[in-house]
Amino acid sequence: MKFIPITASAGITGFESPASDYLQLPLSLDALLVEHPSATFIGKADGHSMQGVGIFSGDILIVDRHVTVKEGDVIVANLNGEFICKILHIAQRLLASANVKYKDIAINEEDQFTIEGVVIRSIRCHRASQLLAVNI
Amino acid sequence: MFALVDANSFYCSAEQVFRPHWRGKPMIVLSNNDGCIVAANKQAIALGIKKFQPYFKAKQLCEKSGIIACSSNYELYADLSHKMMQVIARFAPEQHIYSIDESFLSFKHCTQAIPDLAAHAQNIRRAVWKETRLPVCVGFGKTLTLAKVANHIAKKWPGFNGVCVLDDESLTKQLFTQLSPADVWGIGRKTAKKLQQNSICSVYQLSTLTINQLPAGFNVELQRTIKELNGEVCKTWDTVRADKLQIFSTRSMGKRIRHREHLNQALAKHASIAAVKARQQQSLCATLMVFAANSPFDETPCSYKILCHFNPPTNNTTQLLKAIKDNINQLFKPGVAYYKVGVGLLNLSSEKNQQWDLFVPPQENTPLMSVLDQINQRYGSDCAFFAAQGINQVWGMRRELLTPQYTTNWQHIPPILC
Repeated sequence: MKFIPITASAGITGFESPASDYLQLPLSLDALLVEHPSATFIGKADGHSMQGVGIFSGDILIVDRHVTVKEGDVIVANLNGEFICKILHIAQRLLASANVKYKDIAINEEDQFTIEGVVIRSIRCHRASQLLAVNI
Repeated sequence: MFALVDANSFYCSAEQVFRPHWRGKPMIVLSNNDGCIVAANKQAIALGIKKFQPYFKAKQLCEKSGIIACSSNYELYADLSHKMMQVIARFAPEQHIYSIDESFLSFKHCTQAIPDLAAHAQNIRRAVWKETRLPVCVGFGKTLTLAKVANHIAKKWPGFNGVCVLDDESLTKQLFTQLSPADVWGIGRKTAKKLQQNSICSVYQLSTLTINQLPAGFNVELQRTIKELNGEVCKTWDTVRADKLQIFSTRSMGKRIRHREHLNQALAKHASIAAVKARQQQSLCATLMVFAANSPFDETPCSYKILCHFNPPTNNTTQLLKAIKDNINQLFKPGVAYYKVGVGLLNLSSEKNQQWDLFVPPQENTPLMSVLDQINQRYGSDCAFFAAQGINQVWGMRRELLTPQYTTNWQHIPPILC
């Protein structure tokens, strides 16, 4: 006589979540902080001249190259080969600081100057970030 | 209409994105281990730099003329390339990424919506420059070959301002008479020479040939190129890049290998790299070639090579690694300082259309490899790897002039003065 063993099992299915019809994507920091992913770069603030707009040394700056620059934007510029973060005053051709201890910079004819992008967000780490910590 | 959008000296331009003080300066990028010059921008070439020259021969010229040299920072190039491709993709309904710095666009069914192609091309150039700080040139043509020719003209000839549209017959004829067949996509050095021997010296002459007039010894590929030059579409995305028939991963060492274990590690690393590529294109390998050699300039050059056969064919890294380990004694000889090692996956066949052997049971298809690939795709390459590769790779690449990974490593993000 041949036996074919079949294991008996009782299925456990549980209950469908009452919230399953209301599922949404969780909040994404990427979506909040980066508006144009292919045109955005991230840099690190170095210096104290922008404290008046809440940018402190070591803060993370999110720089968008897609958006059109407006008067009074906080921008990153390439001034004579260096990235610099200032407030742009177009008519006066002026890079303004946001700290009384620092001077504004006038853009002259002989300067190499290009606007690299608009600082659309800045991030402060109130506790040190492990990702940003420099391993020695 | 098709367009080819191509970055100008991409590696050099990518190095300048986060180093604004390097913009406009002569630059070169070196190959793995800083051996050869693999990229040079216009300014460097004007100073006498030759591509693919060994770096040590050009070093003096670089120091004298202020040419900036960089190790290749592929992490940066890959990320900037990805961003550039996304910006370009906005300008056409269909895009085909052909290489790290070139992509084709198809304007099928929408040419009427873009009355001025040259203006559209300028928009592409402006947007890519504004958003990624990479300079590109754009060529338009009725076929992929014509788009490629147009791109060549846009890039190399002055007066075109980075854009060339081949839609006017008399202009095309005029340009073709001044172009050499060697400048056409798919025509190699040998073919160009043979054409010249048959006194076909310009692209215009080539394009007027009929099949009967074609000298003997030219293949069907050239006939298709001629048709394409006349605006008849013969090449499409799928044919421009077929699956590879062989996959190689090989490298010269930053530091010579003198230990059996290190040789095994380096070969395991290359086998892993090649196996990932084989899985990506869904190929199986029936023959694994493994080789190791010192430098041909050494006193006693030696080179060892083995072939391992797999039946049924495989793309499973564990099997490749086992084959290498089992045969390492045939490759390693004490006293040899290994300089160049690598593996090749040969006799590739399609995973989908596999011919089973009646007498060899099929391998059980474990999901391990696909899990491994998915982990590395999601969390970065070599996030999970085989211990056979070694954890501290003392034989790793030499990249002494490497710039930071500005866009892929939090610790390398560029400083901005405030």
